[in-house]
Amino acid sequence: MLRITLKSVRGHFVRFLLTAFAVMVGTGFVAGTFVLSDSIRATLDGLFNQASKGVDVVVRGTETGAAGQASSGRAALSLDLEKQLAAVPGVKRVVPDLQGTALIAGKDGTAVRSGGAPGLGFFWDPQGQSFTLLDGRGPTKAGEVAVEKRTLELSGLAVGDTTQAVIGEHRQSVTIVGEVKFGAGTTFGATAVLVDAQTARTLFAPDGRVGDFQLEAADGTSEATLRAAVAKVLPADAEAITVTDFNEENQEALGTALGFITTFLLAFAGIALFVGAFIIYNTFAMIVAQRTRELALLRAVGASRPQVRRVVLGEAFVVGLVGSAVGIGFGVLVAAGAKAALRSFVGIDLSSDLPVDALTVATSLVVGTVVTMVGAYIPARRAARIAPVAAMRDDLSIPAKGLRLRGTLGLSGLAVGAGLVVTGVTRDDIAWLLVGPGALLVVLGAIVAAPVIARPVIRVVAAPFAATLGVVGRLARENALRVPRRTATTASALMIGLALISALGVVAQSTKASVADLVAQEIRSDFVLSAGGGVAVPTSVGPAVAALPGVQSVADAVGFGVRSSDGEDLGASAGTAKGLGDNFDITMRSGSLDAIDRGEIIVNGDTAAEQGWTTGSKVSLAVGALGQKEYTVGGVYAPMQILATDIVVGEDLFEAAVPAAQRFNQGVFVKAAPGADLTALRAALVAEVKQFLVVSVEDGEEFQSTAAAGVNIILGILYALLLFSVVIAVLGIINTLALSVFERTREIGLLRAVGLRRRQLSGMITIEAVTTALFGALLGTALGVGLGVALQRGLKNQGLELLAIPWSTILVVLAASAFVGVMAAVLPTVRAVRLDILKAIATE
Amino acid sequence: MTDGHVTAAPAGAVAQAVDLTKVYGTGEAAVRALDGVSVEFERGRMTAIMGPSGSGKSTLMHCMAALDTPTSGTVVIDGVTVNGLKDKALTTLRRDRLGFVFQSFNLVPTLTARENITLPLDIAGTKLDQAWFDTIIDTVNLRDRLTHRPNQLSGGQQQRVACARALVSRPAIVFADEPTGNLDSRSSAEILGFLRRSVDEFGQSIVMVTHDPVSAAYADRVLFLSDGRIVDEINEPTADSVLARMRGFEPAGRQA
Repeated sequence: MLRITLKSVRGHFVRFLLTAFAVMVGTGFVAGTFVLSDSIRATLDGLFNQASKGVDVVVRGTETGAAGQASSGRAALSLDLEKQLAAVPGVKRVVPDLQGTALIAGKDGTAVRSGGAPGLGFFWDPQGQSFTLLDGRGPTKAGEVAVEKRTLELSGLAVGDTTQAVIGEHRQSVTIVGEVKFGAGTTFGATAVLVDAQTARTLFAPDGRVGDFQLEAADGTSEATLRAAVAKVLPADAEAITVTDFNEENQEALGTALGFITTFLLAFAGIALFVGAFIIYNTFAMIVAQRTRELALLRAVGASRPQVRRVVLGEAFVVGLVGSAVGIGFGVLVAAGAKAALRSFVGIDLSSDLPVDALTVATSLVVGTVVTMVGAYIPARRAARIAPVAAMRDDLSIPAKGLRLRGTLGLSGLAVGAGLVVTGVTRDDIAWLLVGPGALLVVLGAIVAAPVIARPVIRVVAAPFAATLGVVGRLARENALRVPRRTATTASALMIGLALISALGVVAQSTKASVADLVAQEIRSDFVLSAGGGVAVPTSVGPAVAALPGVQSVADAVGFGVRSSDGEDLGASAGTAKGLGDNFDITMRSGSLDAIDRGEIIVNGDTAAEQGWTTGSKVSLAVGALGQKEYTVGGVYAPMQILATDIVVGEDLFEAAVPAAQRFNQGVFVKAAPGADLTALRAALVAEVKQFLVVSVEDGEEFQSTAAAGVNIILGILYALLLFSVVIAVLGIINTLALSVFERTREIGLLRAVGLRRRQLSGMITIEAVTTALFGALLGTALGVGLGVALQRGLKNQGLELLAIPWSTILVVLAASAFVGVMAAVLPTVRAVRLDILKAIATE
Repeated sequence: MTDGHVTAAPAGAVAQAVDLTKVYGTGEAAVRALDGVSVEFERGRMTAIMGPSGSGKSTLMHCMAALDTPTSGTVVIDGVTVNGLKDKALTTLRRDRLGFVFQSFNLVPTLTARENITLPLDIAGTKLDQAWFDTIIDTVNLRDRLTHRPNQLSGGQQQRVACARALVSRPAIVFADEPTGNLDSRSSAEILGFLRRSVDEFGQSIVMVTHDPVSAAYADRVLFLSDGRIVDEINEPTADSVLARMRGFEPAGRQA
């Protein structure tokens, strides 16, 4: 039996090759995901181990509130603590963790940036082990810097050059005196500039506070012993932790943050495999149908049903194994692609190679092979049911079962799914537990019902061909309808990918429209200053800009963490009543915006309702690094996107609560004074922020398109990933057509004999392919747009206020699908026109 | 070409072969399926080609019908020299001047009987001559079956549809390859009777390959092939005369 299996694989080589290719793409994603996450883990390991070399214990502030962007949510520690710590027995060295932002201008005069990754500033510690000097020397006085290797490469500068830099918030001219290497080789994409210790103290800790101290133990003192000794002298708002625990904590946090990449890729692996399973099913179903007589002969000469089943499953095993083995290689390519994408879009640089370990290989092989065998199971069972007498029968058509049950089942699945989705999205808050399974049910229902839907849809799609091309168009239409199940399965593969693409398209387009609307509706600013990505706008920009003539007021976009008395983490932003009131369209439900200038807080209407707070309530909160204190709710504002945080505090409270080094200002909103010359103001703003290298000035419209650009990048990545499932679907169409051509050899011979030209024959096959592809595309886009609209409705309160359907994208998708059909028809067509008429007619 | 059985060429030849040779394979494995056949088929007559398996009768018909290319020799159909024609011209020739009836699988399963019949016209984009169509339909007695698909028709009905299709474009000549090979005797008689009527009533020229003496008896003339040569012919045959003649030379053919 094994020999029969192997011979069959060899005999139907090309067909199995296409199937194996589908398996390959699916498994490639699985393997790629594993390779990538291993690479991330290896990079993180290296990063943390290197960063903590020569460190045994870390002293940090106790946790007070939620971590915000760049804010640790921990109490800041006074630099004075350094002396106390140094006096503890067993401490060899105390290093305050002085770091902040630092950027240098490259050769072209613009800031050296790596994607959206932050520009970090450290200080040069001659005894430290995180950085190794490669060239020159370490900086020893103000105006000198050492630059990390890759950063220096990006800058186009060399040791000895002088350039402009922004250290902390201070613009200055610096000389590059050295080149350093970060121990692990990568800073995860961030640029790094090192200054001398004294400069770091002044610029990175202007308020005399730092996040933590790193302690090195004297020889013979263990981490644990040192930790215990240090803990005794610490004030209440500080804690000591061994570096082992510290690293573990950080790694876990970062690992979770990056884990989404793994989940994300696995989702696409799932989609690719799911689509692949259709192709596998279809291929085996057709091969079994074709070989009915051969399989019946096996039965007639004494093979048992399980044996016949094993022959077919054995073929699936071989195909699956080969496909997934090649898929592992493809996976490395996927991982390499993802690595490059992370680097250029997110600025995350993975230093590690792409490791392929035994687990990756084993998982990929098992997943690929099992999926193939599952896909082939039904055809295998059908093969086993072939009666031995079929060997003697002339008529080989396998009686098709009625589609009524399938139609009823599929359409009711579709209806129930749609019902769940609608119920899920028509609530105040989208109910994912209804929407998720509902959407899945809709897609599955569509797949099940597809053969029934195929008939009317294909009739409509093929109508123009039948009308203009006469019998060729009619033949193509009838061929597409001949085995509705097969056409539907082939089209379903395309449908899944296109449904996802168009659903995403609707959500993305709605997001863009909503963002634009938000800018128009909620923002009254004339200009927005921002640095983009992981770099903050220096906090001094706001006050400096506010002082410019023609500026009425400014508002900073700052976010930080607040923890309520019962431990709930809330988000907060800050500003002055005037700045916020001028720049944003805030509606107060009660109380007054001015309250924040008096040290009170104002609360988002949604949060107020959840927490049961009203104007005048006294609430206990830990704001930023401050401990729990009581604050008065000075007002409640109507929920809005631009102030989507839970509470808003005044400028003074913000400065007290968040250490300078942890303030992260995403942008400055500028409102011009009435009658101000906007052109002149813009020029003044540009001149003012020029010194900060990375800050750009945008008006409302530009800000709007920048915001939309982010959506476009994410959309681009998603589309690229979904394209793989479309590629698999194309393979499916090729496969189905090739088999159909093979099955209809005699018919093609007959048509050619009675005068069908080669051109007409190609046309017939191409139209069949185009019709099938368009059927899948129409079904997919219809489902996708439906789901997309549902999602928009559901996310209405989360910022997706406007519905926008990307009709042009959808038209492009439909046109591309037709083109895909034409492409898929090429190989089968070549084969069909080359058929020898006589041999074709003589074929059984 | 010395066997002396070549018919004197009448003025009304619709198809003509001159010194036709067809060799399959090369070297030791070479098989001469046709070995210098020269023959003419008269307009408005029905010719049957007979011979044992492997005698070359099907090859002769395929070459005459522009379905196969001879190794050497010339084929002229309705005044057109087939040799050297490109696929496009050959296709047009088959579509416009030839009709075909095969032993089995004569119809496109996705088309109705009517669509199958008009297929050559539809492919060519030619307008249907409704009167002629009606005449054919009534002759083959298919009027109430026109909307049926092939799988809803009996074998005899399917073959009648095939005959109607072969005639609908008023071809110069119809080639029928064992048209009754898969049919019972009653259906066979229907088909043959119909082919006969088309010759008598419409002046159709027909070439039919068969191994059945009863079928051959419907023809005006029977050619006997053996080992790739025409070895004999009978005009105005009867089933008995054909059978007698076959018995006469068959052993010789086998020994060769």
